[in-house]
Amino acid sequence: MILTFVNALILLFLTAPIIVVVATAFTTTGYPVFPPQGFTLKWFERFLAMPEFTEAVRRSAMLALASTAIAAVLGTFSALALARWQGRGQKAVAALMLSPILFPAIVLGLALLVFYSQIGLAGSFNGLIIAHSLITTPFVIRLVMASLSEFDPALEEAARNLGAGWWRTFLQITLPLIRPGVLAGAVFAFILSFDELVVTLFLAGPGMATLPVRIYTYVEYSSTPTISAISTTLILAWVLIGVPVYVRFLSIKHV
Amino acid sequence: MSMEATRLEQLGPISSAAPKAPAPRTVPRNWSHLLLLTPNLIWIGLFMAGALVVLATMSFRGYEAGGRGILRTWELTHYAAFLGDPFYRDILWRSLGMAVQVTLWCLILGFPLAYMLSRLRGWSRALLYFTILMPLLTSAVVRTFGWMILLSNNGFLNKTLISLGLTEAPIPMMYRMTGIVIALVEVLLPFMVLALDAALLNIDRQLYDAARNLGAGATRIFLLITLPLSLPGIISGSLLVFVLAISAFVTPALIGGPRIPVISTLIHQQGIALLNWPFGAAISFVMLFTLLVLLAVTLSLAAKAEGRAR
Repeated sequence: MILTFVNALILLFLTAPIIVVVATAFTTTGYPVFPPQGFTLKWFERFLAMPEFTEAVRRSAMLALASTAIAAVLGTFSALALARWQGRGQKAVAALMLSPILFPAIVLGLALLVFYSQIGLAGSFNGLIIAHSLITTPFVIRLVMASLSEFDPALEEAARNLGAGWWRTFLQITLPLIRPGVLAGAVFAFILSFDELVVTLFLAGPGMATLPVRIYTYVEYSSTPTISAISTTLILAWVLIGVPVYVRFLSIKHV
Repeated sequence: MSMEATRLEQLGPISSAAPKAPAPRTVPRNWSHLLLLTPNLIWIGLFMAGALVVLATMSFRGYEAGGRGILRTWELTHYAAFLGDPFYRDILWRSLGMAVQVTLWCLILGFPLAYMLSRLRGWSRALLYFTILMPLLTSAVVRTFGWMILLSNNGFLNKTLISLGLTEAPIPMMYRMTGIVIALVEVLLPFMVLALDAALLNIDRQLYDAARNLGAGATRIFLLITLPLSLPGIISGSLLVFVLAISAFVTPALIGGPRIPVISTLIHQQGIALLNWPFGAAISFVMLFTLLVLLAVTLSLAAKAEGRAR
């Protein structure tokens, strides 16, 4: 009983900033106040009327799509190999491939900035795509490996024994079975890339600001409910995309 | 093991028994694995390892402010400048202190939550899991923005504290370490809960039943079973939160501002605003080295503790 009460307070703390951001998006005051006063949708209208933000949304979406495509392929291949390889070196390679999760983004940002300036990728959109794929691939690896842990290798062997080649076995047996993991990994990678700020801050050339960069530079100097409206839209989008994928992934995993 | 490898093994003895047959193919067992790993290994090797080597080289280059910029010399001046100047050493200590505070608070707040999560089953578990995970799907910028609204001098938190009579004047939390720690704990708490939950799930429920049947009370069960057996989760969660806290940029930059510089905002300032890449690179490696030493010490202590427990 006490534990439930304590946990309710901790959950309140955990969700507090999200509640505040969503609530202040509807305030009629000119600056974000909590609790909000009145009710208005004008901040959402203002967001949609500001090309610097709508343009940034489009750019972020393209960047996230491109880097997710790379991460999904690299991550799925790596997970398939890591899940079956039981030999020596598996642990070391797995640790290396998952290391971007723990690697300080601020250092990766500076390293890529210096590196790109020497190989001619400085300030380019391709450079951003590569950087984002580095950051998101480990999460695809993790989620695909999780879905592979329930995978019965006998199914693949059966297909091979019946004469299916490697590629056919992969397309018709392996891929359909790990699809929830790949899908969850891809969705997570997309959201991560869309939200990524630190590395992007180092690498985005002039006129290449993504939505998080725009929000950051805005928040640094001023405070307006427009930012709350943008954030609320994002939160809503992620919940709408995230929940179905999450439920599907869970129902496969039998948690 | 893949079918391919099994087949080759079966073929092996046959082909060596018949010398006229084509020479046995000495294909390594794991070639298909290696093939699948290659694209990602190349990607990481080129863009992560490659970039870090370039950054390491950069940290030994000379730099002339305002003049010729980055020089093609080899020197240790940047490391000496960082470690020799109390101003910079203070920034390093402040960052470490901040990460320690954030980690401890995440442990204190994360344990009860993870404990409850690990005992739930079915859809109630899925629901709580998603509630804890959802903040992770909200970017750190957005959550920090929420905290900026809450923490300001005439914000909700201070107004509540004053109306409750807990304080006379507003407690300044924006542009203070207090504010950074509060917001960072919230940003990183989900990572701690997930790590603790994984460890708590691994504890055999029968241990609790056995202890209870033998007459142990709730406190004893917690101290003698739950706590020691969740140690792997405590260690992995703490390491994760510590590393993420010390490298966090958005929250210290927005809530602390230039008044409270930490190591990550210093790296950003040197790299972007001042364009002193060699110094930024040197600070980066001081930070990486510090983290490596701390990781190594913690992991070896953990291994020793585990050895003693057996």
